[in-house]
Amino acid sequence: MKYIPSLPGRNDNVSHDQPVREFVLLFAGITFVLLVVFWTLGLFVDKAIDYISPEMEATIFVSVDASVSKSVDDNDPRQEELQRMIDALRKCIRIDYPLKVHLINSDEANALAFPGGRIFVFSGLLDKVLSENGLSFILAHELAHFKNRDHLRGMGRGIVFTAAAALMSGAGSDLTQLFAPTANFSQAQYSQKRENMADQQALQVLSCYYGHVGGATEFFEAMKPDNKKSNLVGHYFSSHPEAVKRINNLHKLTSDLNLAIEEVLILPAILNSQN
Amino acid sequence: MTQLILFVILLSLGYFFGRHAEKKHYKSILEREEHWLQLPTTSSKYVTKGDRVIGRCHLVNGSMVVSVDYFKRILAKLRNFFGGNIQSYESLIDRARREAVLRMKESCPEADQVINLRLETSSITKGRGKQIGSVEVLAYGTAIYFRK
Repeated sequence: MKYIPSLPGRNDNVSHDQPVREFVLLFAGITFVLLVVFWTLGLFVDKAIDYISPEMEATIFVSVDASVSKSVDDNDPRQEELQRMIDALRKCIRIDYPLKVHLINSDEANALAFPGGRIFVFSGLLDKVLSENGLSFILAHELAHFKNRDHLRGMGRGIVFTAAAALMSGAGSDLTQLFAPTANFSQAQYSQKRENMADQQALQVLSCYYGHVGGATEFFEAMKPDNKKSNLVGHYFSSHPEAVKRINNLHKLTSDLNLAIEEVLILPAILNSQN
Repeated sequence: MTQLILFVILLSLGYFFGRHAEKKHYKSILEREEHWLQLPTTSSKYVTKGDRVIGRCHLVNGSMVVSVDYFKRILAKLRNFFGGNIQSYESLIDRARREAVLRMKESCPEADQVINLRLETSSITKGRGKQIGSVEVLAYGTAIYFRK
């Protein structure tokens, strides 16, 4: 046997496909699978929420301490005034279980619905609204979230999506970062839908309570300048429709539902920080 | 968002640097393989020119440790979902094998033949795969020197 040294003409041990093409294909496939998975899981969450009554919700979340280090004293007159407004407004949306307001000292202008029948109001909000009607609209918006159980839906989706993404990629894996936009996108899209729904119901509450919807947009008007930074990407990934869009939406709803706009009431003196 | 941007940057860095390094390495491998063709190397237990008298022989080895770039690792992880060829690792292992054999040959430039060539692969990051993925390829054989 004669040994003839030679080199192979081509390398059969290596695939010569384009790696970028493979990456794009795999990534698109997984994103599609994830979207379907998240959508299905979302349906399951919605189904599960139907079985949780407000009483059961209160029992579950009673152990979650709602006090935040910056929350005001329980007998703060501002918090009592907000509580009075909530109690009056909730009759218009037919919520027959008690809701508790917690006022938190913060520059942030926001309010949120928290499981267990609690509404957090950040004191920065009181600087942004100009009238009682404007404040009532925000509170009514949170009431609508309670009515629609959006706070539970949001929380349930958050838990389920995170668990699903971690299960598929392995907790703490680099891939979780790759999946995060898909999960955020699914959640933000859903959340925007719920926000619009809550806006519509809040308008109806305002109309029921005051007989007109004047002042509904004033909070968003005040928030407009802060939205300059927003771009197309931020828009799709943000859960709250941007201020301008919400204002336009509210104007449209007002004319569609034939709601009147009249003079607004001044903010109760105790809540007016400008005094 | 920041995390995602960082991730994309790492991914493209991995892709471009990885590709550049691979091209450069393959160029060097091909040149050196051409050059070392003069040193016959087989996996046979016996020398190919059986009529010549063996003067001396000794063990030679060459090894290379190779690690994946970020892009290849992510590509392999994505591949995990659907199964199939992990193509992104193929060229890496191929390079390691050929480099190990070349290093082995370069360690005995005066030899007439290398026989009984064996290749071994070991993962040196077992159990810590999440931090780094790297393998060592070891090539070893017997260098033969014929009596002059």
